[in-house]
Amino acid sequence: MHEENIRGKILSLLESDPGITIKEISNNLSVSVDEVEKVLKAMSDVRQKVLVVDDEMDALLALKVALQTEGYNVVEAKDGHEAIVKVHSELPDVILLDLMIPQIDGFEVCRQLKSDPVYSHIPVIMLTARGEIDDKVEGIELGADDYVTKPFNLKELKARIKMVLRRNQDI
Amino acid sequence: MWNQRSRWNIILFAVIVLLLISSIVFLWMKTNVEIRAVVEEQYQNQQLLLTRQISDSIERSLTEKVLLLEVIAKKDSGVPPDNFSSDLKSVYDVAGMFYVVEYVTADGTIVSGYPEEHVPYGLNLYENNEYRAFERVKETGVVYITDPLRLMEGNYGSFIWVPVYDGDEFKGTFIAIISESDLRSRYVVESNSSSYAYLLDKRGRLLYDESGTYERGVNYAELMNSSSSGLLDIIAAQVNGMEGNGKYLLLDEGSVVEEMLVSYSPISWYNQQWSLAITSPSSDVDRLIVSVYLKLFIVAVVSVLFIVFVSSFIVLILFNWSKSLEKEVDWKTQELKESNASLLQANKKLKELDRLKTEFLSIVSHELKTPLTAMKTSSEFLRENDECDTALRQQMLDIVIRNIDRQSRMVDDLLDISRIESNRMKFHRDLVDIEDTILFSIGLLELPLKEADMSVQVDIPENIGHIYTDKDKLVQVFVNLLNNAIKFSKKGGKVTIFVEEETDFIKVSVSDNGIGISQEEMGRIFDKFYQIDSTSTRKVGGSGLGLSIVKGIIEGQGGTITVSSEYGRGSTFVFTLKKEQ
Repeated sequence: MHEENIRGKILSLLESDPGITIKEISNNLSVSVDEVEKVLKAMSDVRQKVLVVDDEMDALLALKVALQTEGYNVVEAKDGHEAIVKVHSELPDVILLDLMIPQIDGFEVCRQLKSDPVYSHIPVIMLTARGEIDDKVEGIELGADDYVTKPFNLKELKARIKMVLRRNQDI
Repeated sequence: MWNQRSRWNIILFAVIVLLLISSIVFLWMKTNVEIRAVVEEQYQNQQLLLTRQISDSIERSLTEKVLLLEVIAKKDSGVPPDNFSSDLKSVYDVAGMFYVVEYVTADGTIVSGYPEEHVPYGLNLYENNEYRAFERVKETGVVYITDPLRLMEGNYGSFIWVPVYDGDEFKGTFIAIISESDLRSRYVVESNSSSYAYLLDKRGRLLYDESGTYERGVNYAELMNSSSSGLLDIIAAQVNGMEGNGKYLLLDEGSVVEEMLVSYSPISWYNQQWSLAITSPSSDVDRLIVSVYLKLFIVAVVSVLFIVFVSSFIVLILFNWSKSLEKEVDWKTQELKESNASLLQANKKLKELDRLKTEFLSIVSHELKTPLTAMKTSSEFLRENDECDTALRQQMLDIVIRNIDRQSRMVDDLLDISRIESNRMKFHRDLVDIEDTILFSIGLLELPLKEADMSVQVDIPENIGHIYTDKDKLVQVFVNLLNNAIKFSKKGGKVTIFVEEETDFIKVSVSDNGIGISQEEMGRIFDKFYQIDSTSTRKVGGSGLGLSIVKGIIEGQGGTITVSSEYGRGSTFVFTLKKEQ
């Protein structure tokens, strides 16, 4: 939220004075120059944003590197609670959601997001080690847009991400 | 206790018993009546025999006496000169029961007789107006006997008139008087107190009554003042000269006093028709059969008692039987309930086990697939991006190697758990130096300890004995416990290993000053896959099997392991192992 506020303020400053420098913005908002630069960089990032939610560090790291290489802006969350916060602050284009995550599990996170009209349009791809059909049914009933079983094929995952993103754009 | 059905059974049973008892009582009474009837009949027949005997003997005796006089009267020799004085004396002596015998001449004058003091010599019947009987005998020429008449002496007697003939010529008559008292003393048997005899004439008038209280000559029926048809029948039969038995009810002012049994027999003495009767109260019969009554009564009572005893015995047996049946049913029901409850319990346990198994499988598959996911993603990435820079390549390869290690540790742990749970874990026991083992374990964890900036303090008393255990497994215990301490401690934490020697075992405690364990988690930390705080656990990685394996190894060798903790301050694991073999 803090970052959101800063973003809004920077935007209004930019609107009122298109020639304003980073230094001036920094002074105006009394935040560091680095931070302003970082926010500006993030704001100017036109890549599609993927939120990866997984509590397994290595899986997360590998997926992050792979997706970044593919040209996505990857945001990560390690538990359900962090995932919801990140969705609110980052507004990702797609969410890769592991089912077995601490605090709030994947099903519940999905349910909460899909019941909130502000975020319900964001496509959710469920990732899980469980292969049971029940999970698939539940995942789709809760509004997950797709379902990938761990360990997944990287190519397939990328194709599915592209597909849900395109589908969303078409709408 | 008694349900509806057994109550009906009891009622039915009681009815049967009552029927049996009443039939016995009925038979007893019927037998009494029959016996009484038979005995009464016998008694009456006996009485009749007696009556007949007495009446016969009276009749015969009286007739004989008269015959004596008739024999003299029929003498062919005519009237002797002494006017039959000597003959009459002889007859008097022979007969022995005449009051007096006299001779009356044809003109009606008493001229002789015996005994002389009773003879009114010279009395003329015509002159004294007592000639009717004389005239009658004179006309008919047959013996005539009068009804008993009052004599001059005051008592009663019958006058016997016997005609005397000489050829066809009437020569007068003999008069003999039989006094009643003589008759009585001679022929009436001394009967017992309760029976008495009476004599009626053919007009039903009382001639003789044993008690002597009734006036003679009265009508017997009037005397008894009885309307009982039995008595009238008896009197009618007696008047008609019949022989037989009868009975009537003796009444006193309308109420029955008792039943009387009467036997009667006729006495036929020339023109006189008399009837002798002997009467006894029927209570005499009862008196005779009272002992039979008593015995029958005893038999009946004994039978009833026997039935009551047997039936109550049967009731008691049935009651006990049904009670024991009930008890058995109760017992069986209880048993069934218990077994049902234990089956339910077992079923619940099995379901719980099934659930745990499913959960275990799902966790295991998750735990096995997670490193695979990381490896697969990394390796696929490497394949696709040949041209990526060395640092990124290195990073991805590290991920692959790390996850291979993790996977193999996981498999080892799972195998250990499997062996522990199926009691197949093998311990290669030997005498192990505890200090060496601890130091060796710490050496294995040098790197993680360094990364966490943690120190381990080891406190072992001098000259401590050896432990008889599997060294590799003991190392595993220390590594797992130390790993846990590292995982759940902040940077710069401290671990203390404290060893104590007890009598026959060695106690080891491993303490840390980490995040500790809350009260509710304390009971579950030894469970498979249980991890206190998943978030923090995943940071360092871990199967969640370490403490289960530790517990398995310690308890598998007969040791114990406990945990104590203060939340936020640290935890202490204490285990014991046997010192010697």
